[in-house]
Amino acid sequence: MRETGDRADFLARARERLAGDIFTNPVHVPPPLPAPGDPVPLPGYRNLDPDDLLATFVGAVAHAEGTCHVVDGDVPDDLLDRLVAELDGRSVVTSAEDVARTVGARLAQRGATVAEATTERAAAAGLGITGAAAAIAATGTVVLDSRAAGGRTASLLPAVHLCVVAVNTLVPTPADVLRRISSRSDALPPSLVFVTGPSRTGDIEQLLTLGAHGPTALHVVVVTDAGRASSTVAPA
Amino acid sequence: MTGHLLPGTTLRQRTAGAVADDRLRTNVARAVDRFATHRVEGLGELDDADGLRRAARAAKQQVLADLPALLERFADNVLARGGYVCWAPAAEDARRYIVDVVARHGATRVAKSKSMATEEIDLNPALEAAGAEVTETDLGEWIIQLAGETPSHIIAPALHRDRHQIKDLFVDTVAAPPDLGTEPTELVSFARRRLREVFLAAEVGITGANIAVAETGSVVLVTNEGNGRLVTALPRVHIAVLGMERLAADWAQADLLLALLARSATGQRLSSYTNVVTGVRGEGEVDGPDELHVVILDNGRSELLAGEYHEMLGCIRCGACLNVCPVYRQTGGHAYGWVYPGPMGAVLTPLLAADQPEAAELAGASTLCGACMDACPVQIPLQDLLLSLRRRKAEHAGRTERAAWKAWSTAWSDPRRYRATTKAATWTRWAASLAGRLPVGRDWAQGRTLPRPAGERFRDRWKAGL
Repeated sequence: MRETGDRADFLARARERLAGDIFTNPVHVPPPLPAPGDPVPLPGYRNLDPDDLLATFVGAVAHAEGTCHVVDGDVPDDLLDRLVAELDGRSVVTSAEDVARTVGARLAQRGATVAEATTERAAAAGLGITGAAAAIAATGTVVLDSRAAGGRTASLLPAVHLCVVAVNTLVPTPADVLRRISSRSDALPPSLVFVTGPSRTGDIEQLLTLGAHGPTALHVVVVTDAGRASSTVAPA
Repeated sequence: MTGHLLPGTTLRQRTAGAVADDRLRTNVARAVDRFATHRVEGLGELDDADGLRRAARAAKQQVLADLPALLERFADNVLARGGYVCWAPAAEDARRYIVDVVARHGATRVAKSKSMATEEIDLNPALEAAGAEVTETDLGEWIIQLAGETPSHIIAPALHRDRHQIKDLFVDTVAAPPDLGTEPTELVSFARRRLREVFLAAEVGITGANIAVAETGSVVLVTNEGNGRLVTALPRVHIAVLGMERLAADWAQADLLLALLARSATGQRLSSYTNVVTGVRGEGEVDGPDELHVVILDNGRSELLAGEYHEMLGCIRCGACLNVCPVYRQTGGHAYGWVYPGPMGAVLTPLLAADQPEAAELAGASTLCGACMDACPVQIPLQDLLLSLRRRKAEHAGRTERAAWKAWSTAWSDPRRYRATTKAATWTRWAASLAGRLPVGRDWAQGRTLPRPAGERFRDRWKAGL
């Protein structure tokens, strides 16, 4: 039996309360209840340039203290060289996604120890590489799917997270991902996580400190296919 | 709900203590001012933020009106994705269920991500009594756990402590090297190393739930540090404790609430990690829990549905009302004396702890300025609710006190009697005889300074041509 406690009894109390009239605050009167089928208003994002999602995304990643690299076709050699140099001898893990494994193989050619993530490997690694299911321009978010990635830890335990996203997965706002989630019971992976910048805390004097429990640095590589010039935008 | 945290003290005594502590007031003021500034910046990036807040209020009302059906839908979807569901009418039911799950797995190491619901049901002592070692993994929550304190803010539990106090605490309680620096980066790095061991060893992870989406049976966990992801990725068992009102019907509502939540809390566009958890570890996944338990908690909430205070159930626990409250700014959270502080706590506590008469005085912890209501992302009419709770408390006031106020009201409702009582000589004598001497006067005058009556009344000066 996977249900504990008395559902009918639990809900009966709520149903009883809701059977009569519902109180309406007379001073600050609430808006009318939406009719069934009324759409929930869409948040509008003032930092969003609908004509240049990529520029919006690059700005938003930097706003969230991440680093965004826009590259044509493939992750550039100089970025990979830099990441290997920063490893300081530690290993690299990748998610199960092809795009991550491909980048992993190129790091292995540069002498890094690279393997697919397990908890133990990820805990020891200096760099974790993943793909993303989508990227969101207005918030600078990458969306990670545990089903596609084969788990959660490659993007979580290593000190640095490198996320490779295809430009054609870039959407304007969170609604473009959230409101397209199907209500089919198997639609969602066990974990769908919206990552906006590296791990942080403000718990000491409300001062921003990066790298609380997750990665201290997040590199997002947007791979374009339009022959657009490479550029790197670092956080201010 | 959990009882009074400082039994035997009154609100007046606790606030007097807090106000006398300059270091505390400095720490709290610095923190809430930063939060409040960031909130304004964050909301300013949304088109018509007030319109969205109004829509969020409507959405939450709709959820509350449909709550039984939405809870059924949510629970059925959790079950369909291989999870377990516990219906917990009271705190005790939730505690017993969670202790049982931990015991059944023979688990002794429990890692928690910050959850006010688990504070409300006083979960940690129950787990510890059953032999489990419980570690809070949110940095602020870990700090107060080490200090043996309760949260002083619902999203920044340790904001009452500064970096020096935190460093000393680490040295005293978890053998941090005495030469540990006091820079936040050094303190965070120390905590990261210590808590990493906890995450890797934990057998059970316990979280709250920011939003539960009925449509898909998903639990949404919003964190910045990543602890909410770690405790749902590494331990074999994940237990989520959900206040029954924290539902969204569908992802459109969740999208609206998420657009407001992080901005209202810290000013961020989204928190670093918004984690949507749906069911247990999937095939081919190297991590994630094998078991997911969702505990749906009533604990006094259903009593509030449809009644005068029902909008309080719309609260999304962002903390914005604390950050703008002139009372909270002066006292911090501990002076409230209960789990939930600030304006939201001053309303929610007397309602959830209706069986504990000492809770009623919390409605007095407000200036009724309405700043809380203006900041609330779901437009809960906090000011109206506080006023109503005060009215309710006044109805239970002693006969003498009610008689005294009635007499005053009668006297000053009539111009002749008003003139008579305000004649300078009369007034001075009257006030002097009253203040601090009548039993009712003593209580009322405590903490108040009565103005010294002017020698001459304004109306007399006016008549005399000023």
